Amino acid sequence: MGIVFTRLFSSLFGNKEARILVLGLDNAGKTTILYRLQMGEVVSTIPTIGFNVETVQYKNIKFQVWDLGGQTSIRPYWRCYFPNTQAIIYVVDSSDTDRLVVAKEEFHAILEEDELKGAVVLIFANKQDLPGALDDAAVTEALELHKIKNRQWAIFKTSAIKGEGLFEGLDWLSNTLKSGGG
Amino acid sequence: MSGHDSKYFSTTKKGEIPELKEELNSQYKDKRKDAVKKVIAAMTVGKDVSSLFTDVVNCMQTENLELKKLVYLYLINYAKSQPDLAILAVNTFVKDSQDPNPLIRALAVRTMGCIRVDKITEYLCDPLQRCLKDDDPYVRKTAAICVAKLYDINAELVEDRGFLEALRDLISDNNPMVVANAVAALAEIQENSSRPIFEITSHTLSKLLTALNECTEWGQVFILDALSKYKAADAREAENIVERVTPRLQHANCAVVLSAVKMILQQMELISSTDVVRNLCKKMAPPLVTLLSAEPEIQYVALRNINLIVQKRPTILAHEIKVFFCKYNDPIYVKMEKLEIMIKLASDRNIDQVLLEFKEYATEVDVDFVRKAVRAIGRCAIKLERAAERCISVLLELIKIKVNYVVQEAIIVIKDIFRRYPNTYESIIATLCESLDTLDEPEAKASMIWIIGEYAERIDNADELLESFLESFPEEPAQVQLQLLTATVKLFLKKPTEGPQQMIQVVLNNATVETDNPDLRDRAYIYWRLLSTDPEAAKDVVLAEKPVISDDSNQLDASLLDELLGNIATLSSVYHKPPEAFVTRVKTAQRTEEEDYVDGSESGYSESPAHALDSSASPPVAASSARQPAAAAPAPAAPAPVPDLLDLGLDNSNSAIVSVDEPGPASGPPLPVLLPAATGQGLQISAQLVRRDGQIFYSMLFENNTQIPLDGFMIQFNKNTFGLAAGGPLQLPQLLPGTSASTLLPMVLFQNVLPGAPSSLLQVAVKNNQQPVWYFNDRFSLPVFFTEDGRMERGTFLETWKSLPDSNEVSRDFPAIVMNSIESTLDRLAASNMFFIAKRKHANQDVLYLSAKIPRGIPFLIEITAAIGIPGLKCAIKTPSPEIAPLFFEGIESLLNS
Repeated sequence: MGIVFTRLFSSLFGNKEARILVLGLDNAGKTTILYRLQMGEVVSTIPTIGFNVETVQYKNIKFQVWDLGGQTSIRPYWRCYFPNTQAIIYVVDSSDTDRLVVAKEEFHAILEEDELKGAVVLIFANKQDLPGALDDAAVTEALELHKIKNRQWAIFKTSAIKGEGLFEGLDWLSNTLKSGGG
Repeated sequence: MSGHDSKYFSTTKKGEIPELKEELNSQYKDKRKDAVKKVIAAMTVGKDVSSLFTDVVNCMQTENLELKKLVYLYLINYAKSQPDLAILAVNTFVKDSQDPNPLIRALAVRTMGCIRVDKITEYLCDPLQRCLKDDDPYVRKTAAICVAKLYDINAELVEDRGFLEALRDLISDNNPMVVANAVAALAEIQENSSRPIFEITSHTLSKLLTALNECTEWGQVFILDALSKYKAADAREAENIVERVTPRLQHANCAVVLSAVKMILQQMELISSTDVVRNLCKKMAPPLVTLLSAEPEIQYVALRNINLIVQKRPTILAHEIKVFFCKYNDPIYVKMEKLEIMIKLASDRNIDQVLLEFKEYATEVDVDFVRKAVRAIGRCAIKLERAAERCISVLLELIKIKVNYVVQEAIIVIKDIFRRYPNTYESIIATLCESLDTLDEPEAKASMIWIIGEYAERIDNADELLESFLESFPEEPAQVQLQLLTATVKLFLKKPTEGPQQMIQVVLNNATVETDNPDLRDRAYIYWRLLSTDPEAAKDVVLAEKPVISDDSNQLDASLLDELLGNIATLSSVYHKPPEAFVTRVKTAQRTEEEDYVDGSESGYSESPAHALDSSASPPVAASSARQPAAAAPAPAAPAPVPDLLDLGLDNSNSAIVSVDEPGPASGPPLPVLLPAATGQGLQISAQLVRRDGQIFYSMLFENNTQIPLDGFMIQFNKNTFGLAAGGPLQLPQLLPGTSASTLLPMVLFQNVLPGAPSSLLQVAVKNNQQPVWYFNDRFSLPVFFTEDGRMERGTFLETWKSLPDSNEVSRDFPAIVMNSIESTLDRLAASNMFFIAKRKHANQDVLYLSAKIPRGIPFLIEITAAIGIPGLKCAIKTPSPEIAPLFFEGIESLLNS
């Protein structure tokens, strides 16, 4: 009960840190997105073995963003971060069509998790700057997003390198969370 | 249970761990930090908080250095218990190793080295590589140590990633602390590796010498230790190095001082100029003396090291003996060490002073110390010829005090003084004899008896004195018994009168018949024989001039001393043991070889001789060398159990001296005659191998049909398939004409294995004092070797049968053998350790399955097919060693035929 009160309280005053997980397969661009959001610049990254956590302030909302490593060996530990999560940003490498099936399976596995029942889902169809990248409709199709029930979701075309689409996504996220969707 | 009772199962209390978990995930930083502190507190008092691993690790990415340190602490503690989850920390380490704050970079790299989890080791290489080249010296020096830690976890990785080169580069670093840590890391890696990894060149030498003056005291220790392993090119270089290092002798830290002393001692080996050496020795004395004003524990360490130093270079402290005089309030362990060094430093010049000290110590209260002081006087007497007389007079004064243990100790050392200076101080024997009755310690008694025996001709009542000891001969400890025996023999040889003659008979009788001690018995026999054959020869042997003794107690062997000097200021120089004796290192190359070798020798004699040779070619290891002759046929024979004192011409190892006691029992059916009386000039020998209580014996019967008594029987076996050899001497009394004696000779296996096709031939040679050597042939029957543990479970039998290829199956028909009853056949086979497993009917025939095993665990799977009462029996066997099959059939034929 206490948690519910805190949540109400903080969403009224808008100073609550929303806990957001950035998930997705390895090499999808999660870490780049995180730092693009936080610092506004592109950093060179190496595969994340473990996690990054940063606080991102956007439009009066503080997001505590957890970027978790996407490698097969680390995916099992995602679940350690599920409790108390308000939103998931699922990043897909739109140009890596071979692994869209794997991305879909991981995605639906996440949606099945009890602990993430209340979390809103934002999908970034990333790497739009690369030739041959699928557009949002094609990614929606590939991830079978129409199967999502009882949950608010949105998909955005993004390019972390160019900085396109990220803040549109964040806009949607802050509006959704403010309106009590989380 | 009714529905509303379920409330008892849901509790509102959460317990500590869930509460902590919640706090760790709190959105407020302060709360999280408090929670981590609580977790660390719980951890330090021993509560298991490992289940909070991910929650704590999630607090790791923080600006707060305090919190970060706490999380790192937690990680070091629990990473091993959560090896899978430890991977979650990797990214943070990688980030932290690039943090702008050098403290955080160093902290990250240090913590990484402490997390010994294989799965994440690989991820740590990149950060480590970066940190080794960091701009900040604090990070570099921390990274250097991390390489050594990583080497311990995964040496290959360190070598592949070029960390060793990076470390070597760090020796040229411009920061002395980095140099010192790189040296420390390289030295530690070198100790765990058999390959040369760290060698100081003339280039690195100058870097090290420069860094030495600037780095911390512990850094100095590392560098000095490394320098002491450096072999200077010539005397000049050595002098230069020493010159640069001598200021370290003045350092306040005793570890630095000792390391500097070690280093200088090592380089001094090369310096030939006596002036320089003398000068250096002068310089080393004051710092060593200063060490003795520290706390007792440090004094002890210093003394143990000084003990080594004065053995090598006595001149260093020759003039400083006074600092080693014991103070009344020194702890006993310091006193004992000081005494030891005083003895080593005692010289003609200072002996008067030293003796005064010793005499005073000898009147103190601590018994061990007093004894050691008395002994020290004796050792000085032996060491310093010109001071011997003064030492003796001090000893005599001490004896007059009549303190029991002082007197006993004095007598022990006086015996040594007599040995050192024969025919010089015998005038004091009378004084010694006065204390005869008070002796109650074996060593003192033995010493006194030795003195009486040695100087029997000068002691008028020597026989009486010895006789007084003889009464209690059987109760005396072995040491005293042996001395009594020898002293009595000496007395008899010096005064061959009636009294001593009776004594000697009593002693010899006691020492041969009534004792269980083989040393005593053998010595007595030798004396007996010497005395009975040629008393003059006995005189030459027993009263021969003795070599001069010197004081070598607590003196270390030169090579060991050098090794220990190279380890000054380590535990090794305190223990006076080489490091290998008490530290196990990871260098495994040698050990695996050793294990292979042992396996090789155990895996059975059926192996090809080539392999056996291989294994014997590997360096012999003390523990397994006893097995070596067993495995390798051409290997040298085992050492003779008893030396061939009487030179009977049988120079092989299995010769054995015949004792005159305890004829062995013999029973059972008459033994086959192997050496007929006609061939053996009247001596007839019958013998057969038998098995009793799991042990093989050679049951023998000797019949003397000659006209003379025969004695001194010895036996020897030629090389044979199973390496059968005598397990001890042939126990046979003198054989009078017309009498016979039987004996059971215990046999051992695999002593002198005859390679090649197995054969049941056993060639035997027997010798006695009166006749030439007799050779005869025997044939052994394989069932003698079947061991008591040959029984197999049905399942094992089937499995083994199936696992062996058909080529290992051999069968033979025995058309003449009739099996009259299964029971009696099985009983007979069981008596020979062939164990029944199963039987089945096949047409009118019975098929029996049995198992047996010969030594070295070689099994025989036996199938016997026969029809009751009808001649003809078929026997098939399967065994890993089918070449022994012919022997098996020979054996089973004689078993079933009889």
